[in-house]
Amino acid sequence: MTRDASAFGEMTDAGLLMAAAGGASSAFAEIVSRHYQPVYRLAWRMAGDAATAEDLTQEAFIKLWRNPRQVRDAAALKGWLMRVVANAAIDRARRPSLATLEEGPEPVDPQARPDAPLARAEASRLVDAALAELPHRQRQALALVYFENMPNAEAADIMEVSIDALESLLARARRSLKDRLAGQWRMLLDGLTETGS
Amino acid sequence: MQQGHENKGRVPREDGDDDIIRILRLAQGANPPLGAAERLMARIAREPQLVTSVKATQRRDNWRLAALPLAASLLLGVYLGAQGRLDFILPAAITDGLAFSEDFPMDELGGMGEAEAVAGENLS
Repeated sequence: MTRDASAFGEMTDAGLLMAAAGGASSAFAEIVSRHYQPVYRLAWRMAGDAATAEDLTQEAFIKLWRNPRQVRDAAALKGWLMRVVANAAIDRARRPSLATLEEGPEPVDPQARPDAPLARAEASRLVDAALAELPHRQRQALALVYFENMPNAEAADIMEVSIDALESLLARARRSLKDRLAGQWRMLLDGLTETGS
Repeated sequence: MQQGHENKGRVPREDGDDDIIRILRLAQGANPPLGAAERLMARIAREPQLVTSVKATQRRDNWRLAALPLAASLLLGVYLGAQGRLDFILPAAITDGLAFSEDFPMDELGGMGEAEAVAGENLS
């Protein structure tokens, strides 16, 4: 590691990958600094808890560190990381685990405070719980397009589906979310109006 | 949620889509826990990378091992060829050519006979 870490800040992802392939951990630290947050956010949205999200994010970056040359299109490094972390999350969710069951989102009580506008924290909990109940692919599509603000083409590329298939997933996710929150829909919107969101 | 409202033009519009976007804004944001990146880099420091290249000294050793049987094979071929033990498997064009040359005296081939004749004519 002979280069100054600040020099890596100006390099493209392709250059950083090449340097990391040569064992430069400072170059890899720059990759982590650029992409850790979005990869973690997707992992968190897919896994539903912070510890699993951190674990999944670590796995994705370590897979990259072990062999940086496996990324064929270095310009799409972020997409590669997002794909790896989402696939890892889906694989892990398929494995039965007591920890996952214990740490899953709390069930929503649709009868709770039916008339009162929901407090922001309670509203967040309801929405998060409804999102957590969506099938993984629908949740991934929503996370990429709505939460990470990715263009449909980029999200479709990450999910390795056509744009039509992605839009179909999004449409089903929206319908499903609306169905799951049907009982609280008006309250949630009223709460947003009151808080000016 | 990051600027989900700016995505309106990129996802198919449906009735209530604006409401969905507003509802999704209620979802919690997820920020990495403190020190998460540092913990990752600490693990990276312990993780070996996959070695995809072979060291130059190893390559030289490999060539030495491969060159030995090749050289032995070449020497055996030269020896057997010189002894004529392989003529029966060689094409006739090669072995017949050698026999053909024996049918002619050396001077016919080298032009010495002509040289002597010309010299003799000049003398006489």
